[in-house]
Amino acid sequence: MLRMSPATRGVSRSLVALVAVFGLLASACGGDDDTSTKATEPTTAPTTEPPNAPVADGPTIRVRGQDFSEAVTIAEVYGQYLAAKGYDVEILTPAGFRTEAIEGIANGDLDLIIDYIGGALTALVPDAASSGDPEVIVSIIGPEYEKIGATLLDYSPAVDGDAFVVRGDLDATTISDAAGLDLVLGASAACFERPQCFLGYTDPDIYGIKFGDTVTIEYGPLLGEALASGDVDAVIWNSTAPQISKDGFKVLEDDLGLHPAQNIAPIVSTSVLDAYGAQLAADLNALSAAITTADLVAWNVETDVNFRESNEVATEWLTSKGLI
Amino acid sequence: MLAQAAVPRDIGLFEFLFGSKYWTGADGILASLSDTVVLCATVVAVATAIAVPLGAGLAHLRRGELSVTWIVTLSRAVPTFAIAGLLVPISLRRGWGFEPWPIFIALLLVAVPPIYLTSYTAVKEADANTVDAARAMGLAERNVLFRVELSLATSVILAGVRVATVQVVATEPIRAFLGGDGLGRYVRDGLGQNNDNLLLGGAILVASLAALTGGLFGIIQRVALPVGVRRLVHRQP
Repeated sequence: MLRMSPATRGVSRSLVALVAVFGLLASACGGDDDTSTKATEPTTAPTTEPPNAPVADGPTIRVRGQDFSEAVTIAEVYGQYLAAKGYDVEILTPAGFRTEAIEGIANGDLDLIIDYIGGALTALVPDAASSGDPEVIVSIIGPEYEKIGATLLDYSPAVDGDAFVVRGDLDATTISDAAGLDLVLGASAACFERPQCFLGYTDPDIYGIKFGDTVTIEYGPLLGEALASGDVDAVIWNSTAPQISKDGFKVLEDDLGLHPAQNIAPIVSTSVLDAYGAQLAADLNALSAAITTADLVAWNVETDVNFRESNEVATEWLTSKGLI
Repeated sequence: MLAQAAVPRDIGLFEFLFGSKYWTGADGILASLSDTVVLCATVVAVATAIAVPLGAGLAHLRRGELSVTWIVTLSRAVPTFAIAGLLVPISLRRGWGFEPWPIFIALLLVAVPPIYLTSYTAVKEADANTVDAARAMGLAERNVLFRVELSLATSVILAGVRVATVQVVATEPIRAFLGGDGLGRYVRDGLGQNNDNLLLGGAILVASLAALTGGLFGIIQRVALPVGVRRLVHRQP
């Protein structure tokens, strides 16, 4: 017995290990099966579904925001709205930016993204001339999204465009006024190679601005800090940045129409759209129409100035508008 | 630092690294390289000036031995980018600009610990018989430190400075993400502009500089040792 016991212990231990390994494998496969069935076949509605849900069963709509606060809130607004309407929605952890969002919808990892149409134009058709008219832009990017199996729905009146931001005391109201002021420009690395940004500002045929100096600054609150401290005189930011009104900055008017129209618009995977029928498109279009630029600014104030969670801000707004 | 000309996105890696047009000029690789080298050299010089006297002095007096343990633990945990990132807004608000203070302080925190540790340990571990002999011969305490302990410690301290320098050179590129320039700007611009070859080229430049620095210190370590110590070191396997 004394001799046997270590041997039996060894055997039983390896049995336990084997069982554990199989268990893990099984659960891992099970997990995969679950998600794949969810993604491809209709499933039963989640338990959180409100009783008044009228929609038909369909695939899970996976929505993921780009990884900056405004986009995160937008994704929460669309996701929570659809969930409240009774759709099977999964709001994924925000990750990546436009490139990753478009890739995600192209390869089937995502079913709904919300993007700014002008930015999408640059990403999908880099050589296309930019336009201040949203209709022109959607007429170009709509077919591009179709090529990757996605459908561009109606754009929202809410705009978050590029903004040429200066301190409030600068003697200029349009970007053209800035030409002779020898300003120091702060902008993100991306701006310096884009025709609608730095290249357009300095192009003698467009604005022809001669900047005194340029500083590359990580896109975000640091732009505002640099502008406030006087280290730079102008920054290229987004028009809904809450710091603009808070710190007394002003946005110079794009008098030559260089900046593209940047309305937000949802893009849905066509297979999901077909599975739910016209109701899904109608619901999303109704939501897009309800969002305004002022709402975007208000959300950004909540998330970036008051440091509140995006999902709470989204719930609050949807409730206040009676959308959920 | 004139208006930045964007590097074209379709540029080849080879073309970027070996095209003379990207090396010269107020905005070229050479200018970025000199930005980086000047900052790194200053940081290492200041770190050495702080850490060697402090470490050697305390070790000679056999004080603050706990500091070594603490610094070994803590220096691993210092988030350099977070520190620099926190300092930038403070520096801006005080009117000191983007550079050089935030990145300088952050890099100093990278450089001081290894130099302090090696200085402390090397002086403390200097051969006890030799040190006793020096005292017995009637050397003043100051000379025991300067002529015996520090001489014996030179190679180890230089190894510490070497480690610190390579780390500083490899960390300095974060400066480009905080409103500065230097070699890291190619990594930053490559990331921001979706330009993989520029990103890779920048990474190669940074890694090459770090490797080169390490090699250079290998030579310094050979040349700078006192003759007696050099014999000692070489005799050991």
